[in-house]
Amino acid sequence: MSLPLYYFLAITAVNILMSWALYVPYRMAHLHFLIVANMAISGYTAAYMVLSLHLPFGLALLAGFVLGAVIGFAVALFIGDAPTFAVVIVGFTFIYITRTVIENTEAVGGTMGLFGLPNIGGSPSVHRWTILAILYGLVALVGFLIHRFDHSQLGRAASAAFIDKDLTTSLGIDIKKMGILLQTFSCTLAGGCGVLYGFIYKSFHLDYFTFHVVGILMTVIFVGGYTTLWGTLLAAPVLYGVPLLFPPEVASWRIVIYGALLIIVLVLKPEGFITTRFVYGIESFLSRKRGKRTPLTKPQEDV
Amino acid sequence: MEVFIAQVINGISLGSIYVLLVTGFNLLLLVAMIIHFAYPQVVVFSMYIIWLVLEVTGNNLILGALAGVTSSILLNLISAPLFQKVMEKRGEVDINSTMVMSMGIGMIITDVLSHGFNKGHPIAFPDTLAGGEAILRVGLISILPGQVSAFVVGVIAVSGFFLLLYKTRPGRAFRAIAEDPNGARLVGIPLLKTGLQSYALSGLLGGLIALLLAALIGSASSGLGEQVALKVIAVSIIAGLGNLVGGLVVGLSLGILEAIVQGYISGTWSNAIAFVIMLLVILAKPTGLFGLKL
Amino acid sequence: MASNDQTRAHADSQQALLTIENLSVSYGHVNALKHANLQVFKGEIVVLIGANGAGKTTLLETALGINTPLSGAIRFKGKPIGGAAVDRNVRAGICLVPEGRGVFASMSVLDNLLLGAHNNMKNVGKHLQRVYEWFPILEKRQDQIARTLSGGERQMLAIGRALMSSPELIMVDEPSIGLAPIVVNDIFNILRMLNQEGYTILLSEQNANKALKCAHRGYVLETGTVTLSGTAAQLLDDPGVREAYLGA
Repeated sequence: MSLPLYYFLAITAVNILMSWALYVPYRMAHLHFLIVANMAISGYTAAYMVLSLHLPFGLALLAGFVLGAVIGFAVALFIGDAPTFAVVIVGFTFIYITRTVIENTEAVGGTMGLFGLPNIGGSPSVHRWTILAILYGLVALVGFLIHRFDHSQLGRAASAAFIDKDLTTSLGIDIKKMGILLQTFSCTLAGGCGVLYGFIYKSFHLDYFTFHVVGILMTVIFVGGYTTLWGTLLAAPVLYGVPLLFPPEVASWRIVIYGALLIIVLVLKPEGFITTRFVYGIESFLSRKRGKRTPLTKPQEDV
Repeated sequence: MEVFIAQVINGISLGSIYVLLVTGFNLLLLVAMIIHFAYPQVVVFSMYIIWLVLEVTGNNLILGALAGVTSSILLNLISAPLFQKVMEKRGEVDINSTMVMSMGIGMIITDVLSHGFNKGHPIAFPDTLAGGEAILRVGLISILPGQVSAFVVGVIAVSGFFLLLYKTRPGRAFRAIAEDPNGARLVGIPLLKTGLQSYALSGLLGGLIALLLAALIGSASSGLGEQVALKVIAVSIIAGLGNLVGGLVVGLSLGILEAIVQGYISGTWSNAIAFVIMLLVILAKPTGLFGLKL
Repeated sequence: MASNDQTRAHADSQQALLTIENLSVSYGHVNALKHANLQVFKGEIVVLIGANGAGKTTLLETALGINTPLSGAIRFKGKPIGGAAVDRNVRAGICLVPEGRGVFASMSVLDNLLLGAHNNMKNVGKHLQRVYEWFPILEKRQDQIARTLSGGERQMLAIGRALMSSPELIMVDEPSIGLAPIVVNDIFNILRMLNQEGYTILLSEQNANKALKCAHRGYVLETGTVTLSGTAAQLLDDPGVREAYLGA
């Protein structure tokens, strides 16, 4: 596999996973940017474990997940039922503080970053395939979990909380518990993503964990659509991939393009391109097709 | 002790700027009903415009000031129809969307500043803007003209703002909409027109802040907006979103706190400490110390 | 219908101040008003009777310009005003005293009154003086925060605020709701007095008995449609009205 393709596939998977991590708490209107800080904290910790303590990658990855979960849970205890803007600002301050701490900690390379992470399984090729396998395995698993969540009682409760927290509380739904659950889930995911992200490039640099990445994730879920997980799945590769095809002069303005796109979509299609209604339409279309034919035939071929 | 006094003086001038920023932010929140996350970024953009005009005109301060104020008002007025479109239904969901939209605006501004001006390098304002030598110097304590102007203009602008709010016809309409938009509509107050007035007013305030920041800090970088934005939003959350008097108290306190920390702890950490303190307060009371006015 | 003919005869002799013709309004899929017709002539007190959710508030708010009509026409002094902005209608001389004594609770009494004059600041001192003559209690409390007023005082403030816009037509939405009976009498007396001063009043009420006793004419609104109209005396005698709204 060529190196650019590997990077594209791997980064796309990370973007999908991270956008989902943002998507899940946003189901109840929590725009939880703590996940970006989680990525950095878990990633640097895992890198430190591998580089300085010579622990195996698997253990470091596990530690990344656990660290994300613990931090996410601890923070969620306070802001599980906080208003949206408070959740946003907590995430941002966390990112800022994490960056400052990392910048000033020599053990993790400070402003220089961490380099020279080992290949998993010895050779570069095995390393790439392992990373891709783990990432896309996670995409499948997390996608399945979120799909189940969206179609569960909890998912419906989250949608209600998105529109009106007070009303939802009066229906006997514990908003705080739900917030804690969703936030912890997304932080756990983000922790693992942080570790994997570092191992894609085999290095860590603080330049990634900035407000830029916040902007990209936000654009992905708002352009793709925040009411269903499919929008993200589609928007993440497109929004990351298309600017790669631009000439460098244009590509360097991609954050401006993202910002403009975000604003345009919010004005014209407030729920994003892929909405629950759209998905519902496709589902009923498919089931109608299936109703006419036996499920195993390929409907497209005989048209 | 001398360090302490010197830093309190620094803190008061810095705090005045925070107060102005929070006031502009809260005005938009209360009257136009938007969370303009990127309001401080608009201010930093105006700083860049001031710098550009100063470069082009050979440090013509009057033109620079005019350009700063105009650009900030214009930027606010241009974004107004976009915000109003998103804010159509005026529900909680829409307020959150305005916040996301504002972040989009912030992304654009920051990126334009980091490529479009001065090849992405931080900009430095001429010393004439800061007003030159210290007015008073006693040991470690010195008072710079920029600090005095930040404080004086801050006091004048804030009292002018409150006077406008409590003694004039537009101010009355602002307060009415802030309390009950539907009720205000029933009385015959034009929501859109009054909303636009608040955009223009916070733009004017933003231009003033840009000038003061240029005089006080003397430099700016593309990342400044994000950092200030964080502090301003944190201050307004701690004060209780939309709470004008709370914003006054907390904004000034943050300025002083930050300056004192800076006096005793090295640069990179002092900012982080301010953030840690803000974070702890928000975690403990996500709806603010003085109550939400929203 | 006899009463309808009578209204039409009346209309020929004199142009109506407010005419509502075939007005339909809907909120999403819910039809709040269906082909409602109504006329208010200068110098009248007209009462709109109906149960909760009959569309009384919708009708008043649509006349003010809050809702955009689905179809139908609204004319004020002969000029079509359907769908016009509220502030334009207020300037033209319509005003609404909202249900539930909607005053700005955190603002002072004086501020509340001045808000009523938002679109008409020319003779604000004179108007204020007039309102204070009618409601001396408001002058005594002018620097007090509206939250501290009693229910009746708040209703007076809401009416006073409406008067500040120097209106010709005052629409009052359910003034008696949540008020003690003795205060309700006061409010109706005030409305009658204002009418004698030359203000035209369109009133919506569930408390049909008292309202009809001070009104000239009335309309009965049922699920968005005008089902009955006539003089106040006719309606008071109507067996259907007696049963449904007068509890007799």
